[in-house]
Amino acid sequence: MGIIDFIIDSVLTQASITIALIAFIGLLLQRKDFGEVMSGSFKTMLGFLVLSAGASIIVNSLIYFGKIFSEGFGMQGIVPSIEAINGQAMNDLGLGNQIAITFLAIFVVNIILARFTKWKYIFLTGQAILWMATMTTVFGSVAGFSGISLILMGGLVGGFFAVAMPAIAQPIVRKITGTNEIALGHFCTIGYVFAAGISKVIGKGSKSTEDIKFPKGLGFLSDTYLSVAFVMIPLYMITAAFAGASFGAELSGDVNYLVYAFLQAVEFVVGVYVLLAGVRLLLAEIVPAFRGIALKVVPDAKPALDCPVLFPYAPNAVTAGFVTTTIGTVIAMFVLPWFGLAMILPGMLTNFFAGGTAGIFMNAVGGRRGVLFGGIAHGFFITLLPALLVPHFNSFGFVNTTATDVDTVGAALVFQWIISPIMSLFS
Amino acid sequence: MFFKKKKKVKNQSQHDQPKKNKQQLTEEIDWQLAKLEKADGNERIEVLNKLGSLYFELHEFDKAIEYYETSISENKTLGKAFTDLTKLYNIKRKEATVENDKEKVQGYLQKSDELMKLTKDSIRGRV
Repeated sequence: MGIIDFIIDSVLTQASITIALIAFIGLLLQRKDFGEVMSGSFKTMLGFLVLSAGASIIVNSLIYFGKIFSEGFGMQGIVPSIEAINGQAMNDLGLGNQIAITFLAIFVVNIILARFTKWKYIFLTGQAILWMATMTTVFGSVAGFSGISLILMGGLVGGFFAVAMPAIAQPIVRKITGTNEIALGHFCTIGYVFAAGISKVIGKGSKSTEDIKFPKGLGFLSDTYLSVAFVMIPLYMITAAFAGASFGAELSGDVNYLVYAFLQAVEFVVGVYVLLAGVRLLLAEIVPAFRGIALKVVPDAKPALDCPVLFPYAPNAVTAGFVTTTIGTVIAMFVLPWFGLAMILPGMLTNFFAGGTAGIFMNAVGGRRGVLFGGIAHGFFITLLPALLVPHFNSFGFVNTTATDVDTVGAALVFQWIISPIMSLFS
Repeated sequence: MFFKKKKKVKNQSQHDQPKKNKQQLTEEIDWQLAKLEKADGNERIEVLNKLGSLYFELHEFDKAIEYYETSISENKTLGKAFTDLTKLYNIKRKEATVENDKEKVQGYLQKSDELMKLTKDSIRGRV
């Protein structure tokens, strides 16, 4: 009994071990040889620990930023980063185990829905499912769920989104790709459909973005880490300047306060880089195992793939969508505080991938004019939704950050606005 | 009345671009293969993509993949080679699923992942 108690209380409570066990089972199901099973499981555990290290770097940088922003501007400045939310939830909030098992539950619900309904979409973007599992676990636990009910609820909501989002995007995806065999699996779809709606109304008859020649100078912005640095470095330094030398020196010690702000901004970028490297390592073994199973159970499945699947159809629209979405996020950054919402800084990773993909959607239905106006509206929209979550994240103990990827925000709002009130009626 | 008009226009456009039969496709492939021997630079990429497209139309998916993959290995400009390859990998993955060939299923999923990574890198101008 003592050994079983030890395993349950001391071993299985460690998220890195639980995640390694999930990979272990997946690899066994694939009938891999012993060496591959062991190395795959170990790499998965390593991935979780790398992710944790990245999260710590991000949090340290955000704590510093929160302090100088409050001192400099007298309000809270929020950095939108689903990576930071995931890292903090898995480590600081101790939800790693639940998130890992909910991740699996989403896969299972997705397979069941695809098998037995007319929505044949299998969501193959592992990273996006991890973000969805994070949000449903955080908001599910706040709504009062725990244990198996938390995982079931997260699996149901996340699994529903995993088939519903590719389904609502499919009419436009079909128009872009000319085929119904491939779908889009990216949890920013509500934003794409919203942007496409605006673009369709405004851009009727406008020419395609693919005839435009973009200046090569914009090329560096499409390097995601450079573009994050491009925004974070000036933001940290300007904020430090507003906070003042004496306050800045309290945090920077012997280092000049502006140099310290610069280094902290770079630390943030490094944190995102490390965390995403950890996520890739973490999912490298789990995802192939389970998607193989999914596609076997649902032979007529439509694979829902990550957003770059659409990039070759309209590369100019990607750049145009990124630029116009960024303009929209900058406008929202200044406008939302007038309405009592937090100041959300532009999230360049999301702006690139979600803005770029939205650009392709908008171009397909409304050409250049549609991309211009739809993109600005899209930027505003994907800033507004995360802003609504800020008070909740603050009360849960997250440091100066909010989620991105609007479908995961949508799932969180389903918990906050629908499931939570129903739960409180019963309790 | 408007509907009738629309239908007529559609029929007309279909008539303008008749679907090629197997023999025509084979002849065009032979012609492109001869052209490939002498072509270089951008022309070679165009011919490789054309061959990929013709084999795709002919439902010779392995050959289509071969020419498109060669095209991408020599020139990473985003375009039809990328979009058709995504479709081709999905078709081959489906065939492998029906044949219950797990290794092939994973192989084509892996190829699809690699293509998307290449797409990301291409759009960032890193290749």
